[in-house]
This record gives sequence, C-alpha cells and structure tokens, in this order.
Amino acid sequence: MTSTQDELYRETAQTFGAALERLARAYEADADLRRDLVQEIHVALWRSFDGFDGRCSLRTWIYRVAHNVGASHVLRQRRSNAQTLVGLEELENLPDANQGEHAADRSHALGRLLGLIQRLKPLDRHVILSYLEGLDAASIGEITGLSAGNVATKIHRIKNMLARQFQQGGSES
Amino acid sequence: MMEVQNPAQKLWQDQPVEGIKMSAEEIRKRAGKFERRIRWRNRRESVGCLLVCGLFAYFLFDTHEVLFRMAYGLFMAAMIWIAIQLHRKGFVQSLPAGLEASSSLQFFRKELERQRDAVKNVWPWYLAPMVPGYVMLTIAYVVSFPHPVRWIGVAAFDLFVVLLFIGIWKMNLRAARCLQRSIDELNAAE
Repeated sequence: MTSTQDELYRETAQTFGAALERLARAYEADADLRRDLVQEIHVALWRSFDGFDGRCSLRTWIYRVAHNVGASHVLRQRRSNAQTLVGLEELENLPDANQGEHAADRSHALGRLLGLIQRLKPLDRHVILSYLEGLDAASIGEITGLSAGNVATKIHRIKNMLARQFQQGGSES
Repeated sequence: MMEVQNPAQKLWQDQPVEGIKMSAEEIRKRAGKFERRIRWRNRRESVGCLLVCGLFAYFLFDTHEVLFRMAYGLFMAAMIWIAIQLHRKGFVQSLPAGLEASSSLQFFRKELERQRDAVKNVWPWYLAPMVPGYVMLTIAYVVSFPHPVRWIGVAAFDLFVVLLFIGIWKMNLRAARCLQRSIDELNAAE
C-alpha cells in the first residue's frame, strides 16, 4: 500500500468518477446494488494500482479494471437471474418500438438507452459504453482486446442502432 | 477522447451522477469488508456440503447396523470430497486475482474456460464420489430387509438416482457446449 497507489486512486476518482458511475449504471439497474458496484470498482481500482506498471495508459487500465469488475458482476448475477443477454447483431435487428414517436423526456430516452445496453452481452456492452463515453476505435480495441476490424464492425452496428433508436424520433438530442 | 457527435453520446455523458467519492481510508476499510464477503461467498457452498455431512453423521451414530454405518460413512467422505472440490474450483469467484487489468477478451475467455472446465466433466468430482455410498446403502437395505417386496422400492429408488445422475451429467455437458460456443465466438473476435 504505497502513496503512489493512493495518488493514482485520487487522480482516478477525480477524473473518472462520473464515468465510473455511468459505467456501473450499465451493469446494474438496482440503485442500492449499483452503489455497491461503484464502490467495488473503486476498491478494485485502488488495489490494482499496486501493480500498475505503466505498460498501458492509465485510462486504458482504469476502463479495463472497471469493465472487468462490471462483467464479473453480470456473470455473478446471471447465476440468479436467467435473463438472456444478446449480441449487438440481435439488438441491431430489433424493431424500433418508439419509431416516429417524439419522446421529449430525456430521462425516458436515457432509460431506453440503458435498457438496450443492459440487454447486451458483456463484451458488446463494453464496446457500446466505450463508444458512448467518446473513446475512439483504437482505444476501444486496446481496452477490449478486439481486433481493429471487429471494433469497426461493432461501432458501425452501434451507430446504426443508436441512429434508429434515438434520432428517428428526433427529440432526444 | 473523441468529440461528442452523436445525440446518444451526449445523452449518455450528460446524465446526472451521484458523485460517489471514497477517501483512501474508506477504501482500505471497504477492501477488508469485500475480502470478508468474498471469503464467505466462497465458503457458502462448501458449508452446505458440510451441513449435509453433519446430517449423515447423525444417521451414522443413530444406527447400529454396520452396513448402514458404512454407507453413511461413504456419503460423508463424498460430501467432504465435493466440498474440497467446490472450494478448489472456486465456483463463486469474485474478480480472479491478476485478471483485473487484462483486456475484456482475455478476462471473458479465462472466466468462460474456468466455468467450462468445471462443468465439462462432473463425474470425477461431483457424481462418482456419491456412487459408493448409494451402492452400500442398497446392499444394506437388501441384507437388512430380505423381502423381495421391499427390494422393488429400493430398485425404484436406485433407478431414480441413476436417472438423476444422467440428467445432471447431460445438463452439464450441454452447459459446457454453450460455454465452448461463447469461447469460440471470442476467439474469432480477437
């Protein structure tokens, strides 16, 4: 337990605190369990900084740790929750339930977005979250370990799906 | 970071957050608490096996028939063996040590491979250890109650156990195949 570990943690909490909360929201719908998950991510990050060797950027490290904790949470929950998770391919083909409807309420739109994300398999969830956080394809590839071609395909699907779900109504932006 | 271009990205990034913050001291406390919780979670299934073991111990001391005692003793040994295997295989793991900062792909593959290996062959660690106990119990019944009418009941029970074992084995094989398909998908995505 070094001061560098504490410093890295402080820097992370300050810079990525909000992103980590958003990420946890995508992995856990229940507010109390989500708070626990955020804290679990913080603890995992603080612990992991003991072994941070700078071989990848701090941001890559943080997202890897946070997503892996989130995915681990999903895998644990699946033992008690039989909800079937789908891939981006299936989600892309979903009919747009709100097509043509002007959903003015941002929280409704956000809820819909979260609903879509929470149905995804962990790896696809990881890609869409990284995309929504504004990370570029190269960073997403570095964090997930997916090939550049695969990341490009997935991002293309994500863009199509998001465009259909959130632009045709036109009002969420 | 890329520039925010997509309305969904803006919607996502503009959502309100609680601003959960933890001091280094809180983190240390919380880390200890998590470790205790994980230790308990890992022990829970083993503790279940040991409770069943305790029930067989009660039967063992309650009966004076040697063959029944042997059967219950074999069941106890089987439950202890299963408890050890559950602990070793870490069925309910938290984030595996050292995998925190691996890429998502590596993380999922390791996790799926671990689960696949655990369910692929349940005979040596889960089903087979129970067989000597059941065989001995059947012998004990046949010897202690030498009435063919009773044997029909014993045979029906044994048939039920055999079918149950086959069902568990088949279900696990199916689960292993599903996990293998997911691993293959991940390998193709690399």
